[in-house]
Amino acid sequence: MISLSRRAAFGATAALVLPRFAVAQGTSTSDQRPTITIAVQKVANTNTLETLREQSNVGSRTWNSYGETLIEQSWSGDLGLKPALAESWRRIDDRTVELTLRDGVRFHDGRVMTAEDVAFSFGPERMGWNLTVEQARNLFGTVPGRTQGRTPPPEVLAVARRTFPAFEKIEVVDARRVRFVNRVPDVTLEGRISRNVGMIVSRAAFEAAPTWLDWARRPVGTGPYRVAEFRPDQVLVLEAFDEYWGGRPPIARLRFVEVPEVASRINMLLTGEADFACDMPPDQIGTVERNPRHQVVGGTIMNHRLTVFDKNHPQLANPLVRRAFTHAIDRQAIVEALWGGRTVVPRGLQFEFYGAMYQRDWEPPRHDPAEARRLLREAGYRGEPIPYRLLNNYYTNQVATAQILLEGWRQAGLNVQIEMRENFPQVLSREGQRGVRDWSNSASFNDPSASITSQHGPQGQQWQIGEWRNDEFGRLSQELDTSTDRARRGVVFRRLLEIAEREDPAYTVLHQSVNLTAKRRDLAWQPVQSFVMDFRSRNWGA
Amino acid sequence: MLRFLLGRIGRAALTIAMVVTFAFVVLRLSGDPAQIIMGADAPPEAVDAFRTAWGLDQPVWVQYFHYFGAILSGDLGRSMRDGRDALVLVTERIPATLALTLPALLIKIGLGIPAGIYAALHRNSLADRIVMVVAVAGFTVPSFVLGLLLVLVFAVQLGWLPSGGQEGWRHAILPVITLGLGGAAVLARFTRSAMLEVLGQPYIRTASAKGVPWRAVVTRHALPNAAIPTVTIIGFMVGSLIAGAVVVESVFSWPGVGRLLVVAVANRDLAVVQCILLLVATTMVCANLVVDLLYGLLDPRLRSAPRRAGA
Repeated sequence: MISLSRRAAFGATAALVLPRFAVAQGTSTSDQRPTITIAVQKVANTNTLETLREQSNVGSRTWNSYGETLIEQSWSGDLGLKPALAESWRRIDDRTVELTLRDGVRFHDGRVMTAEDVAFSFGPERMGWNLTVEQARNLFGTVPGRTQGRTPPPEVLAVARRTFPAFEKIEVVDARRVRFVNRVPDVTLEGRISRNVGMIVSRAAFEAAPTWLDWARRPVGTGPYRVAEFRPDQVLVLEAFDEYWGGRPPIARLRFVEVPEVASRINMLLTGEADFACDMPPDQIGTVERNPRHQVVGGTIMNHRLTVFDKNHPQLANPLVRRAFTHAIDRQAIVEALWGGRTVVPRGLQFEFYGAMYQRDWEPPRHDPAEARRLLREAGYRGEPIPYRLLNNYYTNQVATAQILLEGWRQAGLNVQIEMRENFPQVLSREGQRGVRDWSNSASFNDPSASITSQHGPQGQQWQIGEWRNDEFGRLSQELDTSTDRARRGVVFRRLLEIAEREDPAYTVLHQSVNLTAKRRDLAWQPVQSFVMDFRSRNWGA
Repeated sequence: MLRFLLGRIGRAALTIAMVVTFAFVVLRLSGDPAQIIMGADAPPEAVDAFRTAWGLDQPVWVQYFHYFGAILSGDLGRSMRDGRDALVLVTERIPATLALTLPALLIKIGLGIPAGIYAALHRNSLADRIVMVVAVAGFTVPSFVLGLLLVLVFAVQLGWLPSGGQEGWRHAILPVITLGLGGAAVLARFTRSAMLEVLGQPYIRTASAKGVPWRAVVTRHALPNAAIPTVTIIGFMVGSLIAGAVVVESVFSWPGVGRLLVVAVANRDLAVVQCILLLVATTMVCANLVVDLLYGLLDPRLRSAPRRAGA
């Protein structure tokens, strides 16, 4: 039996404890960076972090902290394109862009980013280009990890096809150069590459994941923060990736905590449990800013709020009725009453950052109830009910906006019936009769094809779900996406606006969207013109 | 006693089967999980493939018998969102919910019953009126209002406690109080009225007239007889332990079974919703069974009633 004196025992204990204490102290003193908590209404709609699956507004907040694209959109600047993982790019021809990769970029798993990783990120294994329905059949029908492997779900392919409708291949030229090749000419290829779908990921990490779901919940990218913990429906914790090519990140840990109630998010901010609270309705600005330590920041973003139509409805089949809808909306009243003038009524589905393509003289439908009534008389509309499937404030102020819309439509003689729904698939469901609904459209790069054709053209959601189609619009969408004649593209875009907003309305724009974030006033962080939240050094501190 | 017990167990099993059936039918009538889970962008053939894979293309009665058979073999199905075992998903959340509901149950019992007894024994006194005003307020104020008020005072104004989340015992204090106060109010009202009814009975007067000390009258004669309605309410509260905090968990962002239920219902994640409802029904039925047995212990007349009726 071993016998120990008290002194020896004390010494042994000290020998065990002191080094740990010293290490702990060393860790805490070397990293003075803060932990930042962001209260969000939802971390991810799909409970995954793979941008090919999570295409939501809420997902936009987090992805660019752990992922990056070759080219990035300058959301905080002039909204132009700028180098990211590609330090430069050039056009080889109308169909091909050659990108030179940045040197010394590392993935979160420590591996150096290679041209092969870039090719893999756009390849069939990740984007599902070769996916068949038969392969999709077993996706959620069997136990993940047992049979399905890393085959992506079918919606991944749908998103990839919509983003890169004419993708042909990606070629590795040498260790630092890749070529993105399209099947047809496309002047917007660089913009498409900048979309979050083109996040560059580690091939080795993807192949090491037991299942696609495991991968999608812990993607390995190159962003300044890596995924430390993701508990679906609860919290996403990102931690600083100190080998980030852009320099040491300024925050030790980023915690995106799911707090569904807006009042609870504000309370977390006011009590100091959260440093940011997202999705603030404008009527809460006063509540937040009564405390001098807090402020609400943000403004308009590159997103439009819309009302969209289903042409299959017996009354809405007549474009005169849809035009009556568009003239019965007092858009300025919505902007003033619900947004306190913080947003604007845009000139249709377009943004000024489209540059030469922006149609400066295009006008939204004027608020003219008399014209709306005249159109309804001409259409022979006799007050037949038209359903309006509505979500409970998925969009900020959604229900209040619906009430204003409903009153305007009622005054014009339209009999619109609200039908509350719980989620988007219920709104879009073909069961029962669809009529009008709410939507929003983002422009993720500076060209009309980022919005009007990708959302309403043949690859867009409205067309795909059978809500609206117009043959001329389809042909012109194809031309806008493939033409390299800039003057002709301008003409085509204007014609697309004429069709979708006047002649055969697919939608009507209500106002530009606003994104408001409550935060600690002492944090030097600026919102950008998107749902994206940037926590890099360039947007943190003085 | 055995027949009494078997009868109660048989009724409990029947109740659970009815709940399972009702939940199954209602969930299948209230929306297509394939469309919701696959998302709006999924092509129609993929949605059809999903339905086939999960058997949703089968007639409802075929699905029902498959489901019921699986339950009997202990398989409660898998989450349609990520393929995980529904029972595992739910049981992972139960500790978080019990961390709120168990202490809240102690508050309900520890505060509600003494307050109700005290109010009954001091009927029409100032204390009685105060207890009843507080009880009525606690009973009528919705839990989300009470929760937000408590957050406003103790988290925002005083800064003593956190306003939400689940990061330690301090985070549980406000949701536990929110749950506990409402239930204590209910128990106080029931206990008071039960006690008042018993105190007005002839045997209480007789005991008093025979010179039995008042304390003994209350503890030996009044309390056991007043316990039956109170035990019924407590049984209901015990039955609500697993999913009785849906609103409070949402207000305090507490990741328990209630929050899981809200998310699962919104996504029509059938197996998860059915699993939660099955567990809730089982807990409720078990609690009622225990209450029934306690009735027999508390009141011997109930124990012998079936035999007498059959004689």
